[in-house]
Amino acid sequence: MSASTELTKEALGAIAKAHSDSELETIALDYLGRKSGQVTRLLSGIGQLEPKKRAALGQAANEAKRTIEGALAARRAELEGARLADIAETEAIDITFPGAPLGRGHIHVLTQVQRQIETVLENLGYQVELGPEVETEWYNFEALNISAGHPARENWDSFYFTPELLLRAHTSPVQIRAMQRIKEPPIYIITPGRCYRRDAPEATRLPYFSQVEGLAVDRGLTVGDMKGTLLFMIQSLYGKERKVRVRPSYFPFTEPSFEFDVSCGICGGSGCKSCRHKGWLEVGGCGMVHPQVLRNGGIDPEHWNGYAWGFGIERMAMSKHNVDDIRLFYESDLRFLDQF
Amino acid sequence: MRVSYEWLSDFVNLDGIGPKDASEVLTRLGLEVESLNVIDLSEIVVGKVLEQIPHPKSRNPLWVHQVDLGDRVEQIIAGAPNAIPGSLVPVALPGTTVPNGKLVKDLNIAGYKASGMLCSAEELLLGDDHSGILILEAGKPGDSLESVIPSQATMDIEVTSNRPDCMGHLGVARELAAGLDRPLKGDFMPAFTGTADPPGRDLVEVSIDEPDLCSRYIGGVIKGVKVGPSPGWLQRRLRACGVRPINNVVDITNYVLLEYAQPLHVFDVKKLGQGEGGLPEIHVRRAKAGERLRCLDGIERELTAEMLVIADAEKPVAIAGVIGGEDSAVTEATTDILLEAATFSGPSVRQTAREVGLRTEASARFEKGLPAELALAGARRAASLIAELAGGTVHREWADVYPRPQEPVRVRLRPARVDEVLGVHVPLEEAESILKRLNFHVRALEDGEWDVLPPVFRLDVTIPEDLVEEVGRVYGYDRVPPTLPGRRHDRWNPSVPSLGRRLDAAREVLAGAGFTETWNPALVSGRALENLRVAAHAMRVSNALSDDMDTLRTSLVPSLVDVVALNRDRGRSEVRVYEIASVFLAPVGDKTGQPEEPLRLCAVATCGAEADSGRKAFYAMKSVLDACLADLGAPICTYQRASAELFHPGRCAAVVIEGRQLGYMGELHPSVLAAAKLEGRMIAVEIDVEPVIEAAQIPRARPLPRFPAIERDLAVVVEDHVAAAALQAAIAEAAGEFLEQARAFDEYHGPQVPDGHKSIAFTLTFRSPERTLTDAEVDKVMADIRLSLEKRHRARFR
Repeated sequence: MSASTELTKEALGAIAKAHSDSELETIALDYLGRKSGQVTRLLSGIGQLEPKKRAALGQAANEAKRTIEGALAARRAELEGARLADIAETEAIDITFPGAPLGRGHIHVLTQVQRQIETVLENLGYQVELGPEVETEWYNFEALNISAGHPARENWDSFYFTPELLLRAHTSPVQIRAMQRIKEPPIYIITPGRCYRRDAPEATRLPYFSQVEGLAVDRGLTVGDMKGTLLFMIQSLYGKERKVRVRPSYFPFTEPSFEFDVSCGICGGSGCKSCRHKGWLEVGGCGMVHPQVLRNGGIDPEHWNGYAWGFGIERMAMSKHNVDDIRLFYESDLRFLDQF
Repeated sequence: MRVSYEWLSDFVNLDGIGPKDASEVLTRLGLEVESLNVIDLSEIVVGKVLEQIPHPKSRNPLWVHQVDLGDRVEQIIAGAPNAIPGSLVPVALPGTTVPNGKLVKDLNIAGYKASGMLCSAEELLLGDDHSGILILEAGKPGDSLESVIPSQATMDIEVTSNRPDCMGHLGVARELAAGLDRPLKGDFMPAFTGTADPPGRDLVEVSIDEPDLCSRYIGGVIKGVKVGPSPGWLQRRLRACGVRPINNVVDITNYVLLEYAQPLHVFDVKKLGQGEGGLPEIHVRRAKAGERLRCLDGIERELTAEMLVIADAEKPVAIAGVIGGEDSAVTEATTDILLEAATFSGPSVRQTAREVGLRTEASARFEKGLPAELALAGARRAASLIAELAGGTVHREWADVYPRPQEPVRVRLRPARVDEVLGVHVPLEEAESILKRLNFHVRALEDGEWDVLPPVFRLDVTIPEDLVEEVGRVYGYDRVPPTLPGRRHDRWNPSVPSLGRRLDAAREVLAGAGFTETWNPALVSGRALENLRVAAHAMRVSNALSDDMDTLRTSLVPSLVDVVALNRDRGRSEVRVYEIASVFLAPVGDKTGQPEEPLRLCAVATCGAEADSGRKAFYAMKSVLDACLADLGAPICTYQRASAELFHPGRCAAVVIEGRQLGYMGELHPSVLAAAKLEGRMIAVEIDVEPVIEAAQIPRARPLPRFPAIERDLAVVVEDHVAAAALQAAIAEAAGEFLEQARAFDEYHGPQVPDGHKSIAFTLTFRSPERTLTDAEVDKVMADIRLSLEKRHRARFR
């Protein structure tokens, strides 16, 4: 038996007994190492041999190398296979053990709801407009057709700093400011923001709250367009099965004026406890912009008309997230806020 | 406004239209029915008391009755003694639930069987009288009580402020009739006038001093009335609407108020002071300073010159449109009355009602602005009822002072406008029919336009859009198909993300860093701001609800300190919260102009009580702020030592971007925490966000480095006062082009550092964009850096 055959046999025996990658690594080094590997060394004296023997030895050594390399690879694969076959047991963990808390904070639920509303209307081409919270009497009331003696004025009992300066009772002043700024229709805007009314705090109302109003000024807008916009908004926020109803009402700044209701999400409109057996939930007010209000915004009502709507963000969040007390939004108890 | 269904049926045939149907029709028309209350009397039967004896054994005063129920006699026990033999009474038999919710059972009281209950008005929800059994005026034993008293349904209707005509049953019935397309029974203007001589206007002298506040005053004289209780049907209707019956004359004025929405008042003519002409006088004038009036509610009120009053020759006898005086009121002894039907200005009545702190059924109607024509209709209706039910003689030709006659308002309507505004085709005949049903007169002109005359009681209709609304609401808005507007526009504004949406990048960072967003009230306690010395620019509300919400906040920090305190109270020790909201800064000197409303971001985080945990928390907050600003796209900000109210004097930095100061970051001043009774320390940052957004840039990609970097650490020992930023600047200057980054990562005080000194460790990264740097090159740069730091900051190295 030649030396190379001997070595090959010895190596194969060692490989068969090896049980780890590191053992195989040692064996590989031992036999095939570039400087001191046993197979390598076989060739060390090859230069002195006659050409015929040299060729035979070279061939034998190369074959031994190939055989050993093959066996190493096979054994490695064998060992890896065995290891993978076992990991179901050897590396099993208790997957029911809870993950460590991330300690993340939360974005306020009203921010989230406001953003959802904005997104829906931005998709219809409306843009967000902002305005001051401390407003003048003119923008808050006069420009909206609510003059000092107006019987509807009591619906907007306000906080005053001076007879001319007050906390805005709605975001409608932003509509006037936007019309004055943009000047030329088409105007499609929404006006989210904080508002203030002089109501004592209770579970359903607060002296401060947030609104989103929308305003469209264009040529030939109709009550149908207003209904469609509201329906698109409500279905986008609450789901396609929801219905919208507009009921005649009265606001000095729109004519005709409406309240708009959404069909109850729990009973689907047939009446249940949560909608007080009405089948509908009140959402907000809307209407075709009063010609005088357009004029006050610098828009000629002979050429343009518009519709507008508004509602409370808190109400929306209350019905969406099943919140029964509006005060929770502004109390800043983290046990509440961290639920969203 | 509470409306009785049964009363409505006086004016419109409601066959086949139940209370629920009527409610739905009214709601669709714009008279929102907020609640519908039905009192079902069909299960209660009429009984006739045959015998009444005191309960022989009971210790409490009880009465045992034998009651004839038509087909049998039952024994029933009651606590009230008024069901004397012969009385007709409502009986609830065992098993019946009476309208107030009580279930009647067979009872045995001290050995005596009780098979049912005799009902009081209160138990039947027919009034608030619970003192005795309700005694019926008619009825046959055994019949359902419904045969005597119809089952009642009332609706609470929210009447919008433009429709005072619907604050009476007639107005509501008119709407219902129009909605149902059924005729309205009866005319708006009753035909009744008095006939007795002499003319009423010769029996009383009426004058109006303030025609702007009182456009009409009608005073009708009725003599020989017999004051007494009203008939049961009238009392029941009043009660159903929440009005307590008093006597027939007063009840009739209330009845007409609930029917026509015209408030009325009656004076006892003999109690009105007479003038020189020997006639009782009525002057509508402003009150004089110091005048007082004892009102019908028994309260004496001081009057001011702002208030309009009805006065006789000497003194006020009523506060106009609000309440009458006690001295001139109708009593059992009254025989001759003056019936007042007037029209007072809405704003004036509203202001007076507010000042005297009394909102009455009358003032609630006057406030909305009533048409003067309504006064005559109401007066005639009341006079006819008084004549009928109180037996008075009504004199003809009443005093009627009418200085500001109601002008008819005509409205032009291009009929196509209806379709254009509604977005649905309403046939012309239908639109016309709707307007006519609502008592509008429509006349088509030659050019096709309509000349429309609204009825006298509809002061709210003045422009074409008002007419479109009338047509639309009766036609039915549910018949208008929803559409989305879509037109070809040659003009638009490009879409820009909103400020709120752009700030969401900071919200994401803060959420990741464990901060929860809060929304806190902008109205806070002015005193608290003063105590914190941040009230210089504060604006105070002149009509605050309470002193803890009387001032607009000038900083978000106090709100968030309160949030920490609240959450600590509720068991959370570590609190990280923020808010993005406006603060309000009144312009200096000029307190009448609109304030600045900078939008701010404020975050606070609690930390331990030791000085070192405050220091660490400061740097942690800095990382959070840096990340927020980076994600908002802002350029790198710098922190400059600063001092500010609310902040710790040694731990406060001004946050500066491109030379513009955004706000402050730092540990809160111990006194701020003490004021909120908080332990430990707190780090806060409060910055203006609009400049950040303005400075924001779109991130530009840089090419990735092609050659490796060499990193070196450098521990610099300097005196305590030397700032890391100063060292960093010196390093950058000395290092030259190959320094990519120098980052301070550790600050150390301890045994290896002399007293009054600190050691700051930097990691320096060197790289060339063109080749691989050698150690030798970097060694040379490091030597330059050391030399520079030694020279400029007397640094030594560890």
